[in-house]
Amino acid sequence: MSNSELVTVTIDGRQVQVPKGTGLVEAAAAAGVEIPVFCYEPRLGPAVGACRMCLVEIEGRPELQTGCTTPVEDGMVVHTAQSSEQAAQGQNATIEFLLLNHPLDCPVCDKGGECPLQDLSFRYGPGKTRMTFRKRSLEKPIPISPTIALDRERCILCYRCTRFSQEVAEDEELVAVNRGALSMIATFEEEPYRGPFSGNVVELCPVGALTSTQYRFLARPWEYERAASVCGLCAVGCNVTVQSREGKVQRVLSRNHPEIDRGWLCDKGRFSYSHLYSEERILAPRRRGARELEELGWEEALNELEGMIERAQGEVVLALSGTETLELAYSLAKVVRQGAASDRVVLPEQALGVLDPFRVPVSALAEAEEIVVFEECPLLDRAPLVELWLKQARRNGARVTRIGPSGEIQRAPGEAAVACRELAEKGSELGQRLRGADRVVLLWSGGGGAGGAHLAALAHALGLHEKEGSGALHLPSTPNARGVAEAWAAAGEENRQSGQIGLLLVSGDEAASNPQVRQLAERARTTVALTLFAGDSGEWADLVLPATSYLEREGTMRNLEGRLQRLRGATSAPVRPELAWLAELAGRLSVTLPDSAAAVFAELSAKALDGISLSSLSARAPLPPRAEAKAVQAPAAEAPPTVRGGPLELIRYRALFSGPEVEHVPELSFQRPAPEVEISPEDADRRGIVDGTEVVVRSNGTSVRVRARINVSLLPGAVRVAAEHCSELARGVEVSKP
Amino acid sequence: MSANDRPMFVLAGTEGGDLRSLEDYRRVGGYVSLEKARQMGREAVLEEINKASLRGRGGAGFPMGQKASFLPSPEQAHGPIYLVVNADESEPGAFKDREIIVRVPHRLIEGIEIAAAAIGARACFVYIRGEYLSEYEILMAALAEAEGAGLVSVPIVVHRGAGAYICGEETALFESLEGKRGMPRSKPPFPAISGLYSDPTLINNVETLATVPKIIEIGGGAYAKIGVEGSTGTRLFSLSGNVIRGGNYELPHGATFRELIHDCGGGIPEGRKLKAIIPGGSSTSILTADQIDTPMDYDSLQKAGSFLGSASVIVIDERACMVQLALRVTQFYMNESCGECTPCREGTRWLELLLRKIEEGRASRAELDLLLDVCDRVLGKCLCPLGDSNAMVVASYVDHFREEFEAHVEQGGCPFGDSSSLAGVRSPVDEIYRGRVGQEATL
Repeated sequence: MSNSELVTVTIDGRQVQVPKGTGLVEAAAAAGVEIPVFCYEPRLGPAVGACRMCLVEIEGRPELQTGCTTPVEDGMVVHTAQSSEQAAQGQNATIEFLLLNHPLDCPVCDKGGECPLQDLSFRYGPGKTRMTFRKRSLEKPIPISPTIALDRERCILCYRCTRFSQEVAEDEELVAVNRGALSMIATFEEEPYRGPFSGNVVELCPVGALTSTQYRFLARPWEYERAASVCGLCAVGCNVTVQSREGKVQRVLSRNHPEIDRGWLCDKGRFSYSHLYSEERILAPRRRGARELEELGWEEALNELEGMIERAQGEVVLALSGTETLELAYSLAKVVRQGAASDRVVLPEQALGVLDPFRVPVSALAEAEEIVVFEECPLLDRAPLVELWLKQARRNGARVTRIGPSGEIQRAPGEAAVACRELAEKGSELGQRLRGADRVVLLWSGGGGAGGAHLAALAHALGLHEKEGSGALHLPSTPNARGVAEAWAAAGEENRQSGQIGLLLVSGDEAASNPQVRQLAERARTTVALTLFAGDSGEWADLVLPATSYLEREGTMRNLEGRLQRLRGATSAPVRPELAWLAELAGRLSVTLPDSAAAVFAELSAKALDGISLSSLSARAPLPPRAEAKAVQAPAAEAPPTVRGGPLELIRYRALFSGPEVEHVPELSFQRPAPEVEISPEDADRRGIVDGTEVVVRSNGTSVRVRARINVSLLPGAVRVAAEHCSELARGVEVSKP
Repeated sequence: MSANDRPMFVLAGTEGGDLRSLEDYRRVGGYVSLEKARQMGREAVLEEINKASLRGRGGAGFPMGQKASFLPSPEQAHGPIYLVVNADESEPGAFKDREIIVRVPHRLIEGIEIAAAAIGARACFVYIRGEYLSEYEILMAALAEAEGAGLVSVPIVVHRGAGAYICGEETALFESLEGKRGMPRSKPPFPAISGLYSDPTLINNVETLATVPKIIEIGGGAYAKIGVEGSTGTRLFSLSGNVIRGGNYELPHGATFRELIHDCGGGIPEGRKLKAIIPGGSSTSILTADQIDTPMDYDSLQKAGSFLGSASVIVIDERACMVQLALRVTQFYMNESCGECTPCREGTRWLELLLRKIEEGRASRAELDLLLDVCDRVLGKCLCPLGDSNAMVVASYVDHFREEFEAHVEQGGCPFGDSSSLAGVRSPVDEIYRGRVGQEATL
């Protein structure tokens, strides 16, 4: 920044130079002066100046001004409460007014100990009350959703939550009703707050008005142990602080990585932690007995597994979920490739480094002029925070074009690759616009992306590798797809391959529910499943081994940007950590494998990560530099598979609120996808179906009963059903009234 | 000055009756100014308004020409420019805009079209108070007639409010017009830079715009000669309270309260004594009886410690208890506070509780001091003028009638007993706040 853009302001006698346009609150912070705030939160859009906590005196202005809404001007002389009696009185008055009706239930309030109202009352408040009337009393707590409780007596009406709902999540579900002293926060007609980002309002609330139903009254904030970790539920990799008390996770809060999550979390990431304590969790190894699975000790289980590997004679297949850390995937891979001398793996999806020359942080979306999303799977379901960035981008004026079955440019499922190729051609109008724009970001959300290769060809044709702030991101459907592929590749050299399957080793629930893996399981002589819960795999595995959760794991994951981030186990697992028993198993197979994440990382890094050290992955991991751009040849776009079984093409999608973790959190059940089929108005009309009609979706002898939901933006000829309600439906379906 | 030689601008031509139809309005020279303005061109029209020193009639008194000069020119503007007409007349005591709409709706439409063309507006929005239903219908009928006659070149949209005082505050009005909860925005940015839909906007009151045709007709210079320096032209005074002939009277600025109350209004009924005057709507500090000869213009009222506001004069005679007046006025502000900023939301309610306690004779002398301290803690700390208004006027009542407040404390009750003219005059808020709506209250 050049000097000409700096202005000088004096705050409480301290001179500070800041860029022109800086807010007074920030300028004061730069001068080492605190201007206290309640309602001010820059991430919620323009400051509103509602709470009046930030009142300051500015020389030359007759009245006190709100620091949060005032941009600094050159030569401005400001006095905060530290040096102005008038400002001190203003802030004192604000605190007095806020406390008039605020209940003094701090000893039993979840916010107590980390409450801005407590802290600012202590520093700026009057210390005693002059309120002699009865405080306003209101019904409380109001469950505004199964995950959030609202205490309206504690609410100081800073409107952070409603502004979040309107300005950030844009769900408009949280509003203020009534006016004056009777104003209160509410949802429309007491419907639950369903927005997928609702939990952020708990963290935004500066008092104990909005609390999480999962942790109400469970702990005091100062009792927590905090682990700076990363969410392992999708490929975004939001930075989180996992807080636990006496070894038990009590809550997950945001840890604000400005390039990844900007301090927001989706409700899946925030509220899923209680799956750790589900009664259905497997705590000990289980072996198929005469009738059912029977528990056995670890020594015996490892004997069993070792025997299975020996009997398989190199005919071992490893199926990975993409939920493993690099270290876990590497350890599994090393056991299979070096211990069992096999080379067969089922990776969760294709994820390559082809987009590395076009690497951008997710936050680049906010500054983009043009964004194109190849969206067969809704961004929200695949990478929820990316959807939030997209909203921010639109507010900042970006032109967003979605290409897919329900996009502005409607394309049938499976046609994204073709659309991508068309955009690269000179005749494309949108393509021309993209060439002319300075900052372009491309996103791919769906299958068939050839690991990002289609997108890379387009990005190269548009010259995005030469434009700062431009880039392309491929959104994998699993959290660490690329990481596990790297780990597999690093763990061995080529061994023999055979068509036989002596042993199928299935890691994680994603792999267990993969139809391809199921088919292998039917062919395998023996099957071992590594899983958190006794779910589907329990029905066909010969040996079930208990897994740890991402909240218990140490290790690293590579997110959708290609950023390597570190997971810090927040709590010790109630089961034996995988790395420990894998190291023991490796030893029995005469393979050296360390038993700690740090040591495994060191070995892996030396082989495949240019020897970077774990400590170089700071608390907020940096984005690796862009790779050298090479001309990219678009792979041949596969013809969309022929649709058989019925006239309508079924889009089966994995809803955000699904998966083994969510399924074990009762508070989140209201968010799980309803049993419904989305259908275009045209297709609905033709079948005499209206919104809410109970219908049957059928193909090849399978049928499911669901409700119809008319989706006006859906391409005629396509229908959408959440995977968990799809049963065994084929790609072509018919929808009819029962 | 007798009624006959008073200059009439805003209500000119209505002596013989209302001018609702286009035909009637044309007969008194209607829409001639619009035609003239079109020939003069944008710059020249704004120049005349500037020369007229026309101050806004809504309450703040900001010069219209100066406000318009903050707008970008249509060539410079990145998007549309809007003209918004504030017809949300909600200030207790004010009913002048209603008079204009009912009696000469075309004059408002003419003024809107002149101003809209002068600033290069793409569209005009009239935000009319929701309770003004028949007024809305009259305006819509006049608008249809004007449109039919090809007089409306900048489209005019009329939008009815939903019953909130705060939506008369310009930025809350924009929010409401945009379909949001009516809560004020922090200023700056001012409407001329970022107004309706964040686009440059000129917002003016009904009376201000209805004055514009006359300025174009006689010229800004001639207009500025009427009234007094700093307060040019005529003003429509809404006279109400304890007076024989309440109503709207158009007088030049600088006329005194005595002329308005006695010459126009016929004085106070039954020979009762004047006690106080609210000079410019409930949001202005109170004047005492001995200030009756104060001229009604901006400077004189400022010198008298108050404000001309919306020129809504409420006459209060000797029977009124000032504590009851303070309570009733405070209940209004408490109920109309939007709930956005802390001092207004909490402070108005606290003031109401304290005033109620004083009125009921349960308060101590310390609580009277507390009342003033709360006023002081609200004043100058709010997001918009609503809370400030409440604090300022309550403080002015105590300031001028302290002995009456003290008498309540000392006598343990209202010295008027049940005889105050305001006894029992309470806001419906009484019921709203005490949760009795639907049980015994009738609204």
